[in-house]
Amino acid sequence: MRAIDWLVMACALSGVILYGLWRARGSNTTEKFLLANKTMPWYAMALSIMATQASAVTFISTTGQSYVDGMRFVQFYFGLPLAMVVVAAVVVPRFLSSGVYTAYEYLERRFDAKTRSLVSALFLLSRGLAAGVTLAAPAVVMTAILGWPEEWTTIGVGMVVIAYTVTGGISAITWADFVQMLIMTAGLAAALLSAVLLLPRDVSFSDAIAVAGAAGRLNPITWQFNPNDQFNIWSGLLGGMFLMLAYFGCDQSQVQRYLTGKSIAQSRLSLLFNAVAKVPMQFSILFIGAMVFVFFTFEKPPVLFNPVALARAEKKTEFAGVRAAYDKAFAARRAAALALSDAPDTVQAFKSAQKDLDATRRQAATLASDGVKPVVDTNFIFLTFVTRHLPAGLVGLLLAAIFGAAMSVSSAEVNSLATVTVIDVYKRHWNRDGDDRHYLRASQWATVFWALFAVGTAQLVKNLGSLVVVVNLLGSFFYGGLLGVFALAFFFPRVKGTAAFTAVLCGEAAIFAAWKFTSMAFLWYNVVGCAVVVAVGLGMSALRDPDST
Amino acid sequence: MHDAPPPLFRTWPRMYAAVVAWLVLMIVLFDLFTRSFNR
Repeated sequence: MRAIDWLVMACALSGVILYGLWRARGSNTTEKFLLANKTMPWYAMALSIMATQASAVTFISTTGQSYVDGMRFVQFYFGLPLAMVVVAAVVVPRFLSSGVYTAYEYLERRFDAKTRSLVSALFLLSRGLAAGVTLAAPAVVMTAILGWPEEWTTIGVGMVVIAYTVTGGISAITWADFVQMLIMTAGLAAALLSAVLLLPRDVSFSDAIAVAGAAGRLNPITWQFNPNDQFNIWSGLLGGMFLMLAYFGCDQSQVQRYLTGKSIAQSRLSLLFNAVAKVPMQFSILFIGAMVFVFFTFEKPPVLFNPVALARAEKKTEFAGVRAAYDKAFAARRAAALALSDAPDTVQAFKSAQKDLDATRRQAATLASDGVKPVVDTNFIFLTFVTRHLPAGLVGLLLAAIFGAAMSVSSAEVNSLATVTVIDVYKRHWNRDGDDRHYLRASQWATVFWALFAVGTAQLVKNLGSLVVVVNLLGSFFYGGLLGVFALAFFFPRVKGTAAFTAVLCGEAAIFAAWKFTSMAFLWYNVVGCAVVVAVGLGMSALRDPDST
Repeated sequence: MHDAPPPLFRTWPRMYAAVVAWLVLMIVLFDLFTRSFNR
C-alpha cells in the first residue's frame, strides 16, 4: 500500500458514505428510515440489490475459483433470471400493494401471528449469525495479505456501517450501494485490463485465450448432470432457481431493497435489471480469474498464495524438495505456454506440466496443514495479484471495492435485522401503542445492536474457523422452509395458518433429516424443504376441510 | 399507466419472455465459447 493507494481508498469509501448520507438527509420518520417513503427509482434499487448480493468474499473467491477450477461456477447463476421473473410477477405486487414493512408481516395477514413469529425467528437466527461471517471472512484474508490486525478490519467496517445506517436508514444504504457498485465495476474493469496488459510483450490476447483454454479454464458450460456438483447447467437452472427464489423473494435483507420502490413497475424493473445483468457480470469476474491464471503462467506465483500457510510449509525440511519440483514444473509450463501459439500440438506438454505444478502445490498444502487444518488457498489468489502486481492507485481502488462490498452486505443485513426486530417482534408483541418517533428510535437502537452483534460474532468466528461452516450450513437449513411457506401463501389460498405453521416445522425437520442421513448437496435442501412444506400444508388443509383444496 | 412496463415491451409477460430469451442466448453463447476455446 503506497500513499496514493491510501488516498484513493479513503476518497472512494468516504465518497460512498457521504453521498449516501447526503441523499438520506431528513430520515426522521419510521417509514423514511425503513422504507425511504417508497420513493426509490428502479436504478437505485437495482444497483443496491446487486451490491447486497456481491460480498467481499464473492469478489475475492470467485476470481480464485476460476483460477483453480475454471469458469463453470457461472452456471450457478443461471437460475437467477428465472427466479427474478417469478419474484417480479408474483411477489412484488403482493408485498407492495399490501403495504408491509417486512416479508414476514405479510404472513400474519395471510396466515396468523404464530406463523409470522416462527418465520421471523428463523430469519433473525440465520441472518444474525451470517452478519458476523460477512465481516469475518474478508478480514481473515486482508490480515494475511496486508498484515493489518483482524480486529481493525471487522471493527472498522462495523463502525462505518453503524455511522451511516443509524443516521440515514435505508435511503443512505441504497444510495451508498449505488456509488459502491460503480466503484466495484471500475475496479473489476481495471483488474481485467491490468491482467491482460501486464502479460509479457510477446504474449497477445489471443495467446492468453489459448493458454487459459489449454488449462481447461474457459469452461462456462457443463452439460453433464451431477447432483453432488452444483456447477453444471441443470443444477444451476433448477437448484440455483430455488436458492435465488428464497434469497430474493423471502429474505428480508433483499426484500427490503424493493419494498422502497415508488411503484410496482419500478420495483419489478430493479429485479429484471439484475436478471439481465448478473450472468454477464459473473462471467466477467470469472474471466478475470482466468486471465490472472494466464498472468501467473508467465510470472512465477508463490507456491501457496496464503502467506500464513506458506510460512508454515517453509519450516518443514521436506519443503526444499517440493520447491525444487515446483520451480521445475513452472519452468516447463511456461515454456509450453510460449510454444502454444506457434505449435498447437504442445497442448499435451502444457497439460502435463500443469498437472505436475498442481501436484507440488498439493504437497506444499499438505506440509502446511500439519495433518489437521486443510489449507484454503483460493481466497488469497486475487488479492496476491492485486497487491503485488497492480500499479499504484489501482490497489487502493480494488481495496475500496472489496471493503465497499463488505459494507454494502453488512449494512443491508443490520438494517433488515433491525426492521424485523422492531416491526415483527417489538411492535407486534411488546409495545403496540408507541408513536412514530418511538419506533424510529427503536429502529436506530436495533440497528446499533445488530451491528455490534455482528462485530462480536465476527471475533468469535475467526478464532473458530469451523464456525463459518456451521453458520453457512444454518443458512441453507432455513431457506427451504421459508420458500415453502411463501409458496403456500401465494399459490394455495385455501391453506390456513395452523396448516402453514405445522408445514414449516415439518419442512425444517425434513431438511434436518436430509443433512443427518444423506450426502445430498446443500443446494438441494431448498428444493426438499419447499416441497415438504407445500405437501404437508396441502395435506393438512385437505384433511381438515376436504372441500378446500 | 403507473405500473406499465417500458414501452418497448408493452406488456409485462412480454418483458418476462424477453428476460428468459436473454438467458437462453447467454447459455448458447457460453456454450459456443466453451466449444471454441476450452481444450
